[in-house]
Amino acid sequence: MQEFDHIEALWAKHTVDVKISADDMLKQAKKDVSNIRTKSLLNIIGMALSIFALASIWIWYDFNSIAAQLGLSIVIIAVLATTVILYNNHRVISQNDFTQNPHIFLQKLKIYQLQRHQLYNKMFWVYVAALSIGTALYFSEILTLLTPWLQGLLLFFSFGWIIFCSTLVRKAVIKRDKERIALLIEKFERISNQFKEAE
Amino acid sequence: MDRKDQLFKEIFDKNSKKIFHLCYGYTGDADSANDLLQETFLKVWQNLDKFRNKSLISTWIYRIAVNTCLTYLRSEKRQAKDELTDNIIENKIEEYSEKNEQVALLYKSISKLEENDRLIITMVLDELPYNEIAEISGISEGNLRVRIHRIKQKLTEIYNQHARI
Repeated sequence: MQEFDHIEALWAKHTVDVKISADDMLKQAKKDVSNIRTKSLLNIIGMALSIFALASIWIWYDFNSIAAQLGLSIVIIAVLATTVILYNNHRVISQNDFTQNPHIFLQKLKIYQLQRHQLYNKMFWVYVAALSIGTALYFSEILTLLTPWLQGLLLFFSFGWIIFCSTLVRKAVIKRDKERIALLIEKFERISNQFKEAE
Repeated sequence: MDRKDQLFKEIFDKNSKKIFHLCYGYTGDADSANDLLQETFLKVWQNLDKFRNKSLISTWIYRIAVNTCLTYLRSEKRQAKDELTDNIIENKIEEYSEKNEQVALLYKSISKLEENDRLIITMVLDELPYNEIAEISGISEGNLRVRIHRIKQKLTEIYNQHARI
């Protein structure tokens, strides 16, 4: 029958070897941080460029109908709102404070995950609806200037792309997020139970 | 090399062994512990500019490591690894048998504790002062003392059970 002192002595005797050196860790940390930031920043830059392109059409093209102007405005607002959301997500990545106590930290993580979930559900449909209405209104004037062939092609590719993103892409993204959230919830419940026991 | 790089290397050299030990105690597996160690120091690097000397730097790093362990998300690779944890530990006992069977038994016993308890006892075994453990784990010092007493009893009990088998 052993006592806790024996466990302490055993632990003290057992040495562990860290497989990575300080230099390698530094290199990896720099690479990883710049990768995360670059990916997130490229996403935002891409969206900002889209806004710029759409705004250029709005400014330089002389529209005859209010419907087309309204359509383009709706699309610009939808893309702008998504860019703001992406920027906020980017701030979460760059400003995430991992130094708070685990309880608060886990609560914040849970809220963040739920927000992501809402983003891909309610918010996604608002975004798709805005894009579809905006594009339809915009096309009401633009399509009259094109040949029937081009009209068909433009309609096919524009709405085909929206349908593709709303079905296959959205499903894949939701599935990935759902798995992550399910794992988090499972873990949160287990951890909160452990905290309850401590009180 | 700039000041931040130099500081990071000093911090890594000074704390990596203890953090690796903490992660090893939590996962019971050297590869997962290595993943967690790297994730922890990546966060240290990301947040180094925000460290304001309100607490000891070692306390701050421990807190990051504890949060990293608790929010350790299983990717497919990790999930497969987790499912195999028991097998890994069983196999490790054989691996260690000639070398140090008792150490393998200790890790197996720690792995039977609940997640928070595993982290707390690892810090106790690494001789961290109670006030620091309380700060890191977000539990009051009074509650922590009671809890540590309970974990010590539980761990000794599990260890003895396994030792008898």
